[in-house]
Amino acid sequence: MALASLGAAFVLLPVVALFVRAPWSRLGGALSGVGASTALRLSLEVSLAATAISVAVGVPLAWTLARGEFPGRNLLRAAVILPIVLPPVVGGVGLLVALGRSGMVGRWLHDALGIQLTFTTAGAVVATTFVSMPLVVLATEAGLRGLDRRYEQAAAAMGGSPWYVFRRVTLPMVAPQLAAGAVLTWARALGEFGATITFAGNLAGRTQTMPLAVFEARQIDPGGAIVLSLILVVVSVSVLVALGGRLTGLR
Amino acid sequence: MALDAEIQVRRGDVTIAAAFSAGDRETLALLGPNGAGKTTIVETIAGLVPAATGRIFLDSEPIHDLPPEKRPVGIAFQDGVLFPHLSVLENVAFPVRARGARSRASRAHALELLERLAPGIAPNAKPRTLSGGERQRVALARALAGAPRVLILDEPLSAVDVSGRADLRALLRRTLGDFHGPRLLVTHDPVEAMTLADRIVVLENGRITQTGTPEEIRDGPRTRYAADLVGMNLFAGRLMPIEAGAGALQTGDGVVTVPWPDEVAVGPLDDVLATLAPTDVVLHVSRPEGSARNVVRGVVEEVAILGDRARVRLDSSPPLVAEITTGSATRMAIRPGTMVWASFKAVEIDLMVEPEPTDTL
Repeated sequence: MALASLGAAFVLLPVVALFVRAPWSRLGGALSGVGASTALRLSLEVSLAATAISVAVGVPLAWTLARGEFPGRNLLRAAVILPIVLPPVVGGVGLLVALGRSGMVGRWLHDALGIQLTFTTAGAVVATTFVSMPLVVLATEAGLRGLDRRYEQAAAAMGGSPWYVFRRVTLPMVAPQLAAGAVLTWARALGEFGATITFAGNLAGRTQTMPLAVFEARQIDPGGAIVLSLILVVVSVSVLVALGGRLTGLR
Repeated sequence: MALDAEIQVRRGDVTIAAAFSAGDRETLALLGPNGAGKTTIVETIAGLVPAATGRIFLDSEPIHDLPPEKRPVGIAFQDGVLFPHLSVLENVAFPVRARGARSRASRAHALELLERLAPGIAPNAKPRTLSGGERQRVALARALAGAPRVLILDEPLSAVDVSGRADLRALLRRTLGDFHGPRLLVTHDPVEAMTLADRIVVLENGRITQTGTPEEIRDGPRTRYAADLVGMNLFAGRLMPIEAGAGALQTGDGVVTVPWPDEVAVGPLDDVLATLAPTDVVLHVSRPEGSARNVVRGVVEEVAILGDRARVRLDSSPPLVAEITTGSATRMAIRPGTMVWASFKAVEIDLMVEPEPTDTL
């Protein structure tokens, strides 16, 4: 009981401290001074885009991992999980040598297609997706594995083509796991720092998301950093409650 | 329209191999113990067992190479397997919509089926709120919704509690009877097979051990299993109350004293079925003195030896089949022509009360 209280206090203390130490008297000034609205808008755009891409690519990937029968499947799963355990900075460096302007693929992207990812919002989305996609893949794969195959068999026997069965039976039945995975992916994307600053840089209005803005403000305006942090707390908690209350137990 | 199947499936160290046919408007029961391969066989016909080999013809048109969604087979799975995220109505409409029908037309069709087969179930209810019997009715409606040419019912009564069973059995009998085409009924319950099927295929350990009409199998079971299961004494007739807790079942050829069925109002009842295991019939050389309520006398018609057991058919009122050890058959000198007494206790009789045929199907 005592240890549980200690644990709860430990988790809550930083959030409480943020509220206590916030420069409430000059809130407005702090907000405009550190470019909060620009960073917040960018953060929401980048994290939502990364979540959308993660779901679009991650669901087929989860399907392949759960249902595919091919050599190297476990290896592929390990590769998909890797970004979770990898330090984000390392991911950022990896993205840089792969997709940077002189990177393996990035050089070709730039020379042939004129696409540059570093120092662009698209680059921030790429870095964020890299780090957060595994969460939705793993959750969806677990859902697919836990699904009783008899429902899909029944649907096929009822005349459903494989695509129809996937749309009307498989996907709706794993929707709770998929949604939980997407919420986790989004939360991870909103907080992404290391890979983004390494790969996409820290340009206000283009790649400077909220965590990066907090980091920068911390060096020039500690009060502003607290205000930005509070905004992130409020946004995170309210979205979790609104979207994922059912999934996280917050109601 | 007729179904001809010749199927092999390797499953672990058991190989299921079966060849059978079901004629147009014929109900064929696959009867066997759990694990005999009955479900595997019907799921093979529906195209759901990729490992299966063999040939399946519907009116000499091969369907064994078609994917499941292209096979004209309607199947009501054991336990229903209703889609939990869809309403009852959407479940029944599923086969119609999956084949490309418009939402509105398929819903109208589904509503009509539900009204006929599952009246009293809210169309927008979710499957998890239904009882076992209600789920089975919805599964039956869903199996019929896609206008299949073959109807398969897999253990339709197994998840249904006793009180709902008679109702559902009557519905199954009507639905099977109305279906134009071959019908397959998977069951481990001999009474279900005997009362619903035109012919029975007995399946044991992946092999067919006997095929025949219910009467043929009842009169001449070829394996111990078939004898135990199908060789039941079956009585049908009108049940009249005679005293507290007891009734007289008046069959076409004799009266049997039975316990009054639980939760059934006292009064005359029609269409009552009763079964009695042959092992519960005791044979005597002279009139028995015991407490058994039913005592009859008859001439031995036939004695069939199955291992250490002897099945004795008596020409009594009603006719009876008794199963005794070969030792006691020898001791009592039982052979065709012998006159013997038979007794059985009322409490050994299993009663199935069919509901009044109230609806207008």
